[in-house]
Formats: sequence, C-alpha cells, structure tokens
Amino acid sequence: MNALDPLLLVLHALRCGGHSGVARVAAATCMDESEAESELIDLAVAGLVTYQGGRFGAWGLTDAGRVADAERITGELDSAGARPAVTAAYRAFMALNPELLDLCTAWQMRPLDGVVTANDHTDPAYDARVLGQFTAFHRRAEIVCADLAAALPRFGRYRDRLALALERAEAGRLEYLVDDISAYHTVWAELHEDLLATLGIAR
Amino acid sequence: MRWIRPLSAQVGETAETIGAKAHGLVALHRLGLPVPAGFVVTTEACRAFLREGRLPTGLDAELTAAMRGLETATGRRFGGTQRPLAVSVRSGAGVSMPGMMNTILNLGLTTQATAGLTAETGDARFALNSRLRFLTTFASALTNTVPEADTIEAAEDLLRQRSGRTVPDDAARQLELAVEAVFSSWNTPRARTYRKLHDIPHDLGTAVIVQAMVFGNRDDRSGTGVAFSRDPNTGEKAPFGDVLFGHQGEDVVSGRSLTHPLRELADREPPIWDALTSALNRIEAHHRDACYVEFTFQAGELWLLQARPGRFVGAAAVRLATDLADERLITRDEALLRVSPHHLRHVRTPRMAAAEADVLGGGVGACPGVATGRIATTTDAAVRMAADGPVILARPETSPHDLRGLAAATGVLTTRGGPASHAAVVARAMGKPAVVGVTDLTIDAADASVRAGGRTFGEGTLITIDGTSGEVALGTPPIVTNTADAHLRRLLAWADQASGDHSHRTEAQRLSAAHAAISTSSATS
Repeated sequence: MNALDPLLLVLHALRCGGHSGVARVAAATCMDESEAESELIDLAVAGLVTYQGGRFGAWGLTDAGRVADAERITGELDSAGARPAVTAAYRAFMALNPELLDLCTAWQMRPLDGVVTANDHTDPAYDARVLGQFTAFHRRAEIVCADLAAALPRFGRYRDRLALALERAEAGRLEYLVDDISAYHTVWAELHEDLLATLGIAR
Repeated sequence: MRWIRPLSAQVGETAETIGAKAHGLVALHRLGLPVPAGFVVTTEACRAFLREGRLPTGLDAELTAAMRGLETATGRRFGGTQRPLAVSVRSGAGVSMPGMMNTILNLGLTTQATAGLTAETGDARFALNSRLRFLTTFASALTNTVPEADTIEAAEDLLRQRSGRTVPDDAARQLELAVEAVFSSWNTPRARTYRKLHDIPHDLGTAVIVQAMVFGNRDDRSGTGVAFSRDPNTGEKAPFGDVLFGHQGEDVVSGRSLTHPLRELADREPPIWDALTSALNRIEAHHRDACYVEFTFQAGELWLLQARPGRFVGAAAVRLATDLADERLITRDEALLRVSPHHLRHVRTPRMAAAEADVLGGGVGACPGVATGRIATTTDAAVRMAADGPVILARPETSPHDLRGLAAATGVLTTRGGPASHAAVVARAMGKPAVVGVTDLTIDAADASVRAGGRTFGEGTLITIDGTSGEVALGTPPIVTNTADAHLRRLLAWADQASGDHSHRTEAQRLSAAHAAISTSSATS
C-alpha cells in the first residue's frame, strides 16, 4: 500500500485524532473538505469508518478500521526500515514536549505580582515574548520533524502544519497557537499520538 | 572553603549565592527546627562550571572535606559497608524555577552500601527500593529524560543506552557526576525557555544542596508530606496539606502515589503532628506570612526539607492579609501591600464550599471555576450523555482523541498530569473548569466507573469539580462566590483610610490608591 494514498491518510488521521468532523480530518490531511468527505464515504462503504450523528457528530474508526490502520502503519514502518529512526525521533520529541506545554501554559497564564492570572492578551510585549519563544522552539522542533519526514514521508505533513500554524500566529491570528483545530498545540498533540500509534506504544 | 558553605545558622549569605532553597533551610536552622545535616555548593561554582565546562578547580577536594564533615555529623560512612551515608542532591537557584532542574535521591547507595543498609535495617526490600530510587533519579538527571524503570537492571540499562555511561560504584564519583548534572540542568533548552518567558537572567546559575537522606520509606512510622500553615484555598487558619505514609518525598510532589489529608497525621503520628504544627507556627511568626513546608518523618522523627512563603492568591490572600493584621503579625499598611489588585480579580471566582461537601479527592486546579455534571469515563460516553445534561469528562489523561469529549463536557478531570498537561491546556483554551492530577481517583473506562478510597461510582454519578482548589466532590455541594466578603470589606475600609479617598470607585482602584498613598508616605517619612 502506498503511504500517501489519500484513503489511508484519512484512515490514519482518525486513528491519531479520534472521532473528528470533516473539517478536522481535512486539516489533518491537508485536503479540502469535499475531498476528505469523499474519502470518508469510501472508507465507510469499506466498513472501516462510521459516522455518529448528534450535536457532536463525527467520523470515527470501526474495529475493522483500527485493525486495518495498525497493519498498514506497522507494515510501512518495517518495510521502510524506519523503526530506529522513528524511535530516535520519538525520544527527541519527548524531550521537547514539556517545553511546548510550558509555552502553551505561558500563553494562557502569566504571573502578575506573584499572582498567576489568565493572560488577557492586553500586554503586547508579553505576548511577543511568548510568541518569540514559540518561534525559537519551532526551529528545534523542525529538526525532529525533518528527521521523521526523512524516515517516513507522511510525517512531512506535521512539519508543514506546524510551520503554517506558527506563520499564522505571527501574522496576528493568535488562535493558531492553542485554540484552533489547526493550532500549533493541536498539531503537536496529533504528532504525539501518531508517534505512539506508529511505534505501538501504549499511553 | 571557596565553593561550599555549610547549612547552618551561622551562614550569612544571600539567596543569590546559596539559592533560595538553601536560604530557607538556613532560616529553619536559626529557628532551631530539625533540618537534615548538609551543605550547599554555591551558584558561583555553577557559573564557573558553565563558563569552563568542568567543575572548578578545588571543588573536588572541598566536596571530599564537606562529605567528611557530614560523616562526622551523622556518624555514618559515605559509600560505607556499615551504617552507609546516603545523600540527596538538589538544585536550588536564587529564583524559583519549579520542576525545571534535577533532584537525585539516595546517592551513595553503591552495591556495597546497599548491602550495608540491608544489614543495618534487616530490611532488604527497603534497601533495594532505595537503591532503585537512586538509580532512576540519577539516570533521569544524567539523561534529562523521565526514565520509567521499575527494576535496578532496567534503570542501569537505560542510563547505558541513553548516555553511554554506567553508574559508577564509587560514592564520591557519583556525587561529582550528580553536581555536574544539576549544574548542567540550568542550561537545558527547557530551562532557558522558561527563563526567557519569565524574564530571569541566564547568568545566575543554580546552587546544589547536598543533605543526609532521611527515609520516608524506612518503616511504617515513616512518611513524607507537604503542609501549608493555613488553608491555601480559603486562607483559614488551619494546617493544610497531604501526607504519604511509607514513601519518599518525590512521590508527593510528583503525585505518583496515593496521599492522605494532612489531618490524618494527627491520628496516626500525634508527636509528628505536634512537632509539625509547632514548626509551622514558628516559621509563620518568623516570616510574618503563611508558609509552605516539605517534610519527611523517619521512624517517628520529623525533618523539614524545604520552607517557603505560602504564596496565596485570590480570596485566600485577602483573608490571610486581614487575619495577619488582626493577629498583629503585620500592620494594616502591610496587609494592604500584601494584596495585589490582581488578587481582586480572583476573589469572586465561584468556589465549592468544601467544608459542606463529600470530597472524593483533590488534584491541581488547572482552569478556575466550578462545574457540576455526571461522570463520563470516555469521550464517547461524554458525547452521548451530554445530550441529556452537563457532563464531567473524567480520564486518566487526555489526548487528541478526547477533543470531542472535551467539547461536549462542562468540566474536565484527569488523574495524571500537571497544570501544563494536554487536558489543562485544552480546557483553558475552551474556558472550562478543570482539575488535573487527581491521584486519589482511579478511572476504569472498561468498567465505566470511578473509584475513590474504598468506594466505586458508576458512570452517570453526579460530581462537582473546583478548578481553583482542585477538589472533586460527590453530588452538588453549595457553590459560593463570597468566601472572603467580610474580609474584603474590612481590607477595603483600611484602604480608604490609607488613601483618604472615600469616593465610589472599583475595588481595584481603592486598593491601588491605598498602595500609592502608602508608598508615598514611606518615601517621604
């Protein structure tokens, strides 16, 4: 199976993101929504995904879909001989992970006169400082993403999505740090989940 | 000595040189309180290490001499086969950088010393557990990761794989490596980022505190805990905290094990409780402020490992300041200055009336506010149940899989993780009350239930969480927004007196005016 097959990309996006609406699947796979939806329908016909309706309606994997995804992901990892490289990148990711969470927390909360307070984003100097640290952090995260993409090309999508989130935040769309389905923190957490899924590590 | 100072009442150095933690320990010594014998390697040695990439000349000889002093003070031998001396090695900078740097426990427990500890105590399990704790904390410090190793061999392998190093079976060499590791941890990328975010200069460096170990895991009359002199949630004058029987200190702080309310110490170890409460009173009187301490008791004897101001916020800060003024520990002007106008924003955050609640457990408040709802143990259940009313999503931790459940839920509870965990970050982004790291609860998604103490609650049970205090309670306890009303009224009356302005203004304006008036009068007097 081809790693970049759109059908499988969508399948794996649901594995890493859990139940998701079309918008989130499209964001995770870098497709447009109609394309993502058509792949979802094909997967549903194959019995690999299913739609749950209601107020929080979303697409999710069936048991068969979960098995199919695991087979394909493990097969891809081993046929590419990528396990050592992905394992090393996972360690590097885990060393960065607490720092990214510190950055997200600093974006949301800040100490004022010793009182930790919700950051109300009325102090541009503080926000610029945090954003500057996101940028500095990203330079190191990019190295890990590049190593991953070299080992398994589909990981290149995370590098692009993280870069795009940061670019948007730097352009003043501040929701792209932690608040959006394509925010830096969201993409980072999906990458975390993908690494666990790919290496077969339980949480 | 050039690079080392003893931890004693006679040390007169500033927190810049010996670090805030050591400075606090010196204060405890002066108060005559029990602190394990130890010494501190100064921040100046750290700066020399960072400059030159190696420990400064002469430090090795000073470490040897200081350890000899510790051996004399404790009557034990470092790395010895009989009555072995084990030490803790902790970071301690002049400014607080919580969780950023390393701590190594039980250092000096070489294979021989561990055998010696077994022979001395007749408790091989205790000795081996202690050595395992040494190896995991040592490996963690040398590799800057969080190694999960539950056997001695696994911890040794991990260190070998990650750093290409083996654990030296020589206590003095262990100590040098540990001091280097703590110094190096000043400059991890994460620590550097933290300092940039919080405007802390990079060139301060950290001190290293070396102290004789006291073992909270020694026997069933041993344990460890953290205590506030007053309740940090309300400011009420009653000791508050957690205690863990039969464990070592990092377990409480890291939330790895089941803790009990501090009060249980009074029933199980009355002499320890008495010693602790009297220590809290003395530290309070000394600092003229609420305080926080970390303590260990070993075989019925209390030891204090750290003390710092309580750093209360919101309603608790208001009540604390007015109470301290009433107790004549501080003046009314000081009380006013102790409360920042920023506190007033938090004074009326809705709070659970914990005294009237059936509290199931407590964790870390990650997003303030109170939420009541039925327990859902999976995202699917949260989505399904949210159609019929509010839901609290209760998970061990959250991942991207839970985004839908987080969106559907009214509040979030996790049993693992801290204030920067995925659940905490997402809950704040969504503005939902959240409590994380509630180690007292066990969530069993397969059984769709939650266990607390000996009780089991099925999915759908109504619970309430308080995202300020981190408390979790059964049912719908009363919710209050005016816990500090009476105290706040008095404080603001003092504020108007100080400023001489009795016109109608916001509370923050009244307090700010008082601050301005007090600083002007102290500048001109």
